[in-house]
Amino acid sequence: MSVLVPVTFALPLLAAPLLAGAGFWLPRRADDVAGILAAAATTVLAAIVLVRSFAGSSVYWFGGWRPRGGVSLGISFVVDPLGAAIALLTAALVTAALVYSWRYFDEVGTLFHVLVLLFLGGAIGFSYSGDLFNIFVCLELTCVAAFALTAFRIGEEGPIEGAFNFAVTNTLGAVLILFGIGLLYGRTGALNLAQIGRALEGRSPDGLVVVAFALLVAGFLVKAGAAPFHFWLSDAYAVAPAPVCVLFAGVMTEFGLFGLARIFWTVFALPLDDAFGLVRWTLVGFGILTAIVGALMSFLQRHVKRMLAFSSIAYTGIFLIGLGTLTPGGLAAAGLLVIAHGLSKGALFLGTGVMLERMHSVDELALRGRGRGFWISGLTWFAAAVALASPPFVGGWQGHEGLDHASTVLGRHWTAAFIAAVTIVSTGAILRAGARVFLGWGDRRDPLLSPEPDEEPEGEPERPALLLALPAAALAAAALAVGAVGTLTPHALLAAEQFTDTRAYAATVLEGRASQAPRRESPPTSAESVVWALVATGGAVGLAAFGLWRRRLPAVLRERVGRAVVPALDALRTVHSGHVGDYVAWLTFGTAVLGGLLAFGVLQ
Amino acid sequence: MSYAPYAVAVWLLLAGLFGIVTSKNLIHLALCVTVAQSGTYVLLLAIGYREHGTAPIFSDVPRSRRAVDPVVQALTLTDIVVGVTVAALLLALAVKAHERTGTLDPAELRELRG
Repeated sequence: MSVLVPVTFALPLLAAPLLAGAGFWLPRRADDVAGILAAAATTVLAAIVLVRSFAGSSVYWFGGWRPRGGVSLGISFVVDPLGAAIALLTAALVTAALVYSWRYFDEVGTLFHVLVLLFLGGAIGFSYSGDLFNIFVCLELTCVAAFALTAFRIGEEGPIEGAFNFAVTNTLGAVLILFGIGLLYGRTGALNLAQIGRALEGRSPDGLVVVAFALLVAGFLVKAGAAPFHFWLSDAYAVAPAPVCVLFAGVMTEFGLFGLARIFWTVFALPLDDAFGLVRWTLVGFGILTAIVGALMSFLQRHVKRMLAFSSIAYTGIFLIGLGTLTPGGLAAAGLLVIAHGLSKGALFLGTGVMLERMHSVDELALRGRGRGFWISGLTWFAAAVALASPPFVGGWQGHEGLDHASTVLGRHWTAAFIAAVTIVSTGAILRAGARVFLGWGDRRDPLLSPEPDEEPEGEPERPALLLALPAAALAAAALAVGAVGTLTPHALLAAEQFTDTRAYAATVLEGRASQAPRRESPPTSAESVVWALVATGGAVGLAAFGLWRRRLPAVLRERVGRAVVPALDALRTVHSGHVGDYVAWLTFGTAVLGGLLAFGVLQ
Repeated sequence: MSYAPYAVAVWLLLAGLFGIVTSKNLIHLALCVTVAQSGTYVLLLAIGYREHGTAPIFSDVPRSRRAVDPVVQALTLTDIVVGVTVAALLLALAVKAHERTGTLDPAELRELRG
């Protein structure tokens, strides 16, 4: 087995402390260069690992502690295409973020680079690991780096509060995960995912297994930002520096979903075989709730970063629906959507960085028309929004198409309509903000939008305009193009097929039997998918226009609809109280509901 | 073995959660997070406990002696490290919040709403 896998993991983790130590003696800019080089090298390595993983999962045992007779004492990395793809996406986004932040954090020296590299190292370990406890430790490493990155502008009130809420709720998520790990270890005496799966296989799930499953799912949903565990997410994203938001929106929440999928398909898929329907509808139910809350709240924001954060929550809901189908097709579709979403959200968040730095605000209403001169950033903004809306053969199109095929297990028509509606609302908000800021369209005031405190960071560094605009434009171009790459869907299907084959995974890890999933052709494009994609894109443009010129509608109509809708929206807004105690109460409630549903259903 | 350690673990988790939800002070809140975390330590150690087992160090006792499970102890130690990191970060944030706003009450730190 190639030594490349552990090197990919170790490189950023070694570079981080070296950079921290040498930072004092390095000349200015050398830290920027060193950070970018380390991230770029990791990206290259991760790409090689990904390409190789398509020839079959590879297993690396640390210290050569291989399993004997189905018992593993050692710790392993098990690299399959899906995990390798997440690692590569993280590495690429980290590189983009570091390029963008050239001279961004002059006052803090190397600290930013160190934290971002630690984030990357943890993320790679997390996506490669085949060991339950290592998954936990690597995820925590990533999260702690993320807490610190959120609070980077420590001199302001917002970042302190956002980071505090983020840290408290996510740490509690980790506690739930660790409780689940402890219970599983107590039952099976193993931490290796394959070995736990083997030990549970063939026995009907009892209370302990169900409770462990519920705790793990709840913990990973906290990390993923699914409703009602999502409150930390909008706070953290709204206050983190723009390059950090790129990482958060692109991969951070996806780690939670990835962890959930990983433990389900390696450990719980066989014991919960009879309860697939229940698990499916539980996950899809949380996905639906998440998508609705995220989409509505994103449309109500005037703080552009917070709007993008809520739009990410809406997409988390869509990913969760794809994952919740519990089919390889749904998982592949979610993966494809994650790629397109990560790239376009990255471009959009870098766009907010341009607003902050050049226009000194991220308030949609205050910025009306002030972006007129920034045509590269404007074009980038609309390109990324279109990639999110996913008309045929653009952006997330392949993911949407795949989800359309996979959702037959849920009921195809309502799923397609629901996902189109979520896309319309969340993308409509982004288009509205872009049209207001970069084109100066729409009204100057809108009482429907959440009031914003005017905490605009002063003293942002003035950096060359091209340096700001180019990384975003590159990300947006990649996001648009990703929809037209025809080989992506078959590869994703292959990866998902391999990921979801529980028995083959265990055989590869414990007996060293290499296996390869059969190659699958992507299903033919159906007219229905094309129609829904066009409806979603057209609807998003229409809704953006509604958001801009709502007040020109006849007064009678506005009053009637307003009386019905506004109280509900206000109630939804009130729930997002900004109080960490409330968030934790929701977290406890959500965990109880989830555990109750699963326990009641499985044990019946 | 009795069920008492498991009950204590769950109790610590719930007590920590209750403390966080009702907390009126960020420092108190950060410590409640560590209380919830210590529930996991108790759970892990209880899982690895063996009646009449010694510490899993065999340099001065015969190898045949029954010992408690070293794996969960390693997990607990790792988790303590994670917990301390988070606690340090939370307390640092609490200090900064106090510096900046003059209050430690999470109800008064409501910049991020709606």
